[in-house]
Amino acid sequence: MIKIVKRDQPSKAIFFFTPVLAIFLTLVAGGLIFFILGFKPFEALKFFFIIPIADKYGFSELLLKATPLCLIAIGLSFCFKSNNWNIGAEGQLTFGAIVSGGVALLFYEQEGFYILPIVILAGAIGGMLYASIPAILKTYFNTNEILVSLMLVYVSKLILDYLVVGPWSNPEGFNFPETRQFSDSAKLPLLFEGLRIHAGIFLALAAVVISWFVFYKTYLGFQMKVSGFSLKTAKYAGYKGKKMIILVFLISGACAGLAGVGEITGPIGQLHREISPDYGFTAIIVAFLGRLHPVGIIFASLVVAITYLGAETAQIFMQIPKYTGQVFQGMILFFLLASDYLLFFKIKFIGSKK
Amino acid sequence: MNTNLKISNVTKIYPGCVANDNVSLEFNSGKIYALLGENGAGKSTLVKILSGVIIPDEGKIYLNENNLNLNSPSDAKKNDIGMVFQHFNLFETLSVFENLIIDSDEQRESLREKIDLIMKKYNFPIDLDIPVLNLSAGQKQKVEIIRCLIRNPKVLIMDEPTSVLTEQETSELFLSLKKFSEEGILIIYITHKLKEVMQLCDEVAVMRRGKLVSVSEIKNENIESLANKMVGQNLKTIKKKKAKTSSDQLIKITNLNFTSEDPFETNLMDINFSVNRGECLGIAGISGNGQSELFQVLSGEIISEKKSIEFNNNYIGDLNPQERREYLMAFSPEDRLEQAAIPQMKIFENVALNNFKSSNFFNNGLINENKIKEHSKKIISDFNVNTDNIELKSQFLSGGNLQKLIIGRELITSPDLLICFNPTWGLDVGAINYIHETLIKINEQNKSIILISTDTDELLKLSDKISVIHKGKLSKIMNAEEVTSEKLGILMGGAN
Repeated sequence: MIKIVKRDQPSKAIFFFTPVLAIFLTLVAGGLIFFILGFKPFEALKFFFIIPIADKYGFSELLLKATPLCLIAIGLSFCFKSNNWNIGAEGQLTFGAIVSGGVALLFYEQEGFYILPIVILAGAIGGMLYASIPAILKTYFNTNEILVSLMLVYVSKLILDYLVVGPWSNPEGFNFPETRQFSDSAKLPLLFEGLRIHAGIFLALAAVVISWFVFYKTYLGFQMKVSGFSLKTAKYAGYKGKKMIILVFLISGACAGLAGVGEITGPIGQLHREISPDYGFTAIIVAFLGRLHPVGIIFASLVVAITYLGAETAQIFMQIPKYTGQVFQGMILFFLLASDYLLFFKIKFIGSKK
Repeated sequence: MNTNLKISNVTKIYPGCVANDNVSLEFNSGKIYALLGENGAGKSTLVKILSGVIIPDEGKIYLNENNLNLNSPSDAKKNDIGMVFQHFNLFETLSVFENLIIDSDEQRESLREKIDLIMKKYNFPIDLDIPVLNLSAGQKQKVEIIRCLIRNPKVLIMDEPTSVLTEQETSELFLSLKKFSEEGILIIYITHKLKEVMQLCDEVAVMRRGKLVSVSEIKNENIESLANKMVGQNLKTIKKKKAKTSSDQLIKITNLNFTSEDPFETNLMDINFSVNRGECLGIAGISGNGQSELFQVLSGEIISEKKSIEFNNNYIGDLNPQERREYLMAFSPEDRLEQAAIPQMKIFENVALNNFKSSNFFNNGLINENKIKEHSKKIISDFNVNTDNIELKSQFLSGGNLQKLIIGRELITSPDLLICFNPTWGLDVGAINYIHETLIKINEQNKSIILISTDTDELLKLSDKISVIHKGKLSKIMNAEEVTSEKLGILMGGAN
């Protein structure tokens, strides 16, 4: 007979083991899906998870996709740790990209070392502005930040659409929905000849280090932790709740905005309709898979980035729709939430007695 | 006809706790039985098994020698077992009559006659056609009892029925229960109040930590002997020395009002009182009459008008709890696990929740862990918290130890005023004594206390002055020596 017993103490080992278990279960379930679709499971999984990163180019692509995921997830963990449910990072990314793209276009025929920092800063400010909307509505009008931040995603995408087909579209662009190319001074430098990985990765790494310091060494981090466990306690301790809500939204918006900057000033170098394959949403999975811990988020962003690459490889070589990538992302989250049950309960096998 | 109810070797195990450990008991009609025990002793689990809400892991129930299979509450009803829960199961917006007929398949008209008869017989004057939400707690309970009586039960189980009642309603209830018993209904009365057991019951079964400790006749027991059985150790009684009368006013509340947007909260109306140095002001009341709101207003979780609270000659009504701590106030909220402490965090992290400037817990925005740990060790040794590991998560502390930690954390700043809300709720007797001794010591050091509590005995023991809160209004403030628990009961019920 199987019996489920509550754990006396949620185990630390299990805490970091369940994400690994979730990934393993995702692979098993993914293999099963491939099998049902009529593919050889192991071969398909190999196309999905190994072939894409088997060479230098593939590895650079992996880092390229992991960079925005990591950056956004770090920002989101500020919100999630303190009980604020910002799920509109995709919108903050888009709006950050719009603002920084606009600034980059202002400088489009100019050169100068000062241009890039201004463009980057503009992106961060754009993300912060956009994130401040749900934060202010939440603190002063008691609205639900989940709904507001989510709905604003679609607003930002429509604004982007309007700009790239309308006022900002490239006059010499034959009516393609895109802007002019930014000048080289407004672009993040590429790190290696022939590879697309760019300097944006340093922004992500800086965010990791800074967030680790804030979470574990500062009063702000302590207040976030307390608020995350119990808002009643935070109030009782006298923390300024409204200030903190706005602050974490601004941090998270800035990170998403920076990810947007990385997308448009990296290899692409212009604004167009599809600047992000839903990085802002996928980063929510990354944040939780990484246990809202900066180091965990690095690993999680690499794992999830593979699903983006794998989906493309699988589409090219096996004619599997690339949306399979999203199926995998969904499965990871599903299995993670399910295996979290093991944090609090253990399964005991006991002999049946009669 | 005689009714015999037998519980045989019942065991129920929950994850992490044995709620009932091989319990066997026998009841016969004509007597009123008390099932006595502290919070968490397993009484509620046992009666839920009898009423079919919980299915036991092992053991059997017999009614008049028939083995009952109680898989759902309706099985219990079919077998003539009626139960009145502590929390009422009534539809507030439906009328009394609709509530009574809702689970019955009898004809409406004949049922109405039957209900009228019952009400006349037991003197329950209730208007059947008004919505339940207009009834007082005592009347709602009567509706629940009538609902059981319609089915002519052989067994009637009452789960802590007096927790929401005034003293007067309690004595009415006792009269009714005695009458039912004379008519042959077997009554099982669940409580942790010793006085009630002595007043009402014929036999008493005591439970402790899931086990049945003793079964005895009331005439062979007294309050002390029952208390010892219930808590499993000898009680020590503390007496407070009468405080030196001081006229040095510490805190003054003037025309304080609070109107809540939440319909489940209580509005506070025109609160006025003052507390002198070295004094303990007790605030009594039945829970849900505005105590929680009053605590929050006093602690600064709810901010009020600046001049409504004057503390040590400063107006502080608009300050938050952290700012009020700088003026040497301290707060111990009712809810230990969800407000006063965070169980998932370590002991020393919980200590850092009381962040006053001179503590230097946080310098320039950075955590000063050494300082916090040093401080935590001092609290643990000064306040007898039974652990030496400040890295332990506080969920592993017992309720008593956690409360000592919280009180210790609040008192280590030597505040002029401690405001506490139900500080001993759910604690064992040892911890209660320790907390009470600590509170008395504070007064002896010429510091003041505002004690909001639903435990009348605690209030009478510790307070110098007492006021009663009812529906968000305070009664006039009385000297504790002039107050009896009966008088408090009348005021708690809203009468004058």
